[in-house]
This record gives sequence, C-alpha cells and structure tokens, in this order.
Amino acid sequence: MEKQNDAENRTLTLKRTFNVPVKLVWEAWTRPEHIAQWWGPKGMKTKIVEHNFKVGGKWKYVMAMPDGSEFIGEGVYSMIVTLEKIFSSANFRPMTEGVEIQAIFEKNGDKTNFTFNVIHPTDEYCRQQEKMGFYNGWGSTFNRLEEFVSTL
Amino acid sequence: METRRDVFQAIADPTRRQIISLIAHKSMNLNAIAEHFEVTRPAISNHIKILYECGIISIAQTGRERFCRIQPKNLREVADWVETFRELWEQKLDSFEEYLNALHSKRKKNGKAKRRRKSHIDTKKNL
Repeated sequence: MEKQNDAENRTLTLKRTFNVPVKLVWEAWTRPEHIAQWWGPKGMKTKIVEHNFKVGGKWKYVMAMPDGSEFIGEGVYSMIVTLEKIFSSANFRPMTEGVEIQAIFEKNGDKTNFTFNVIHPTDEYCRQQEKMGFYNGWGSTFNRLEEFVSTL
Repeated sequence: METRRDVFQAIADPTRRQIISLIAHKSMNLNAIAEHFEVTRPAISNHIKILYECGIISIAQTGRERFCRIQPKNLREVADWVETFRELWEQKLDSFEEYLNALHSKRKKNGKAKRRRKSHIDTKKNL
C-alpha cells in the first residue's frame, strides 16, 4: 500500500458546489440565527451558546437530545478571511476532540465552491484518546444519533 | 435486536472492540478469547458470531478448535477511522445546503418584490 502523507491521512475533506452566490453562503455559515437552523439534524434544536466571530473568539453550539443528553460543539477561530475562509479549532463532545476545521469558500460565478476539511489529531493523540475510553463515547453516541434521526 | 452487520456495528460494543484488539496480532481460539473476559462463554461466542457476520473476523475449524482471525482488509475501514466521521459531516452539509437553497429562494423573491417597489417609487419620483 502506498504510504500517504500523514496530514492527508488525518484529513477528512468534503467538497460541494452550492447553487448560491458566495455572499449568501458566507452569511448562512457564519450568522448565528442561520446556524441555529441547520447545524443539527432535522427536528433537533441547536442552541447557540456562544458565537464570537473573530480570530481568537469562541463558539459553542449545543444540541439537546430527547433523552436529555447533549452534543456539544465548540472551538476557537484561528483564521477568518471574509468570503474566503474560516479556520477553527474544534471539539465535538462526546465524539471527537482536538480537530481543526477549515471552511473554504470560492466564488464560482453565481455558484460557490465549498471545501470543508476536518483535520484530525495525530495517531498518537488518537491512541491516547482511545485509551481514555474515547471510543466508548462515540460508538454509543453514533448509535443514539442514528436511532434518533431514523425516528424522524 | 441487532440486524445491522457492518464494521461500525462490529465496533459499537466495548467487548467486541476488546476482542478485536485481543486477536489483532494473533489468531486465538474461542476458549482463549473467553478467558480474557468476565462475561459468559456463550456471550463471547455471540460477540464472535456478530464479528464474523460483520466480516471482521474469519473462523477456521482445526480439529475441535475454532480459530478466530482478524480480517484486516475489512477492519481497515475502522483503522481509517477519520472516515467514520464522513457520514456525519455529509449530513451536516446536506442540512446546510438545504437551508441555503431555501434561504436563497426566499431572498430572491423578496429581492424582486423590493426591486419592483423601488422601481415603482423611482418612476413616481421621475414624474
């Protein structure tokens, strides 16, 4: 098997082209009143606890499950270039911690090319998390989330 | 009821994850595996069955012994665990795109109405 670049191995990349101008994509991605509408799966309420949209600013979104448990997403913005890109550290509890997320916006006429990277921590860090019972957390979380979503 | 049979179902249970790591480096027979756990042998046997059905292990009969061996190819999906988050993010982006499209058509409608009103006023002004 080919040995891939380490960072590449740790990066999950999603690409989309939205049929919407970049200005609106940016607005929907960055404004809390919009984020609350799309962040969670359908039927799940997202509370925007914190949204300090500037470099060094914190964000924290909480999704509440019907059984009272919560999914928490939070992080700190490390780079913001208006209409171009947003980099942020992120923890998604109880699923994955210590990732960096990158949202990259590119004007394509009236459309927008959108790239989303989730850069996971090094293998070593992952193994440590595994030892700490990290997998226990996300395994059951996934199942619960999936169960919940399938009932909608 | 457990009907799902894929790699993620295989690792959804902590005992099964332990079994996987136990036999990751050498194949073991059922008794040897069961010795590592406090749950009953039938319980372990059931986990082994699920792992087998998920394609995570193969079982080879040697005389009266059944040896369980990891199927690394299928387990790669987990080893490539970064990928396990893809579905979750795809769903989030689906949700974003759907919202975005709705917002866009709403704005377009409002924009047209506004422009119509504005041109109406402009026409009036020009009179």
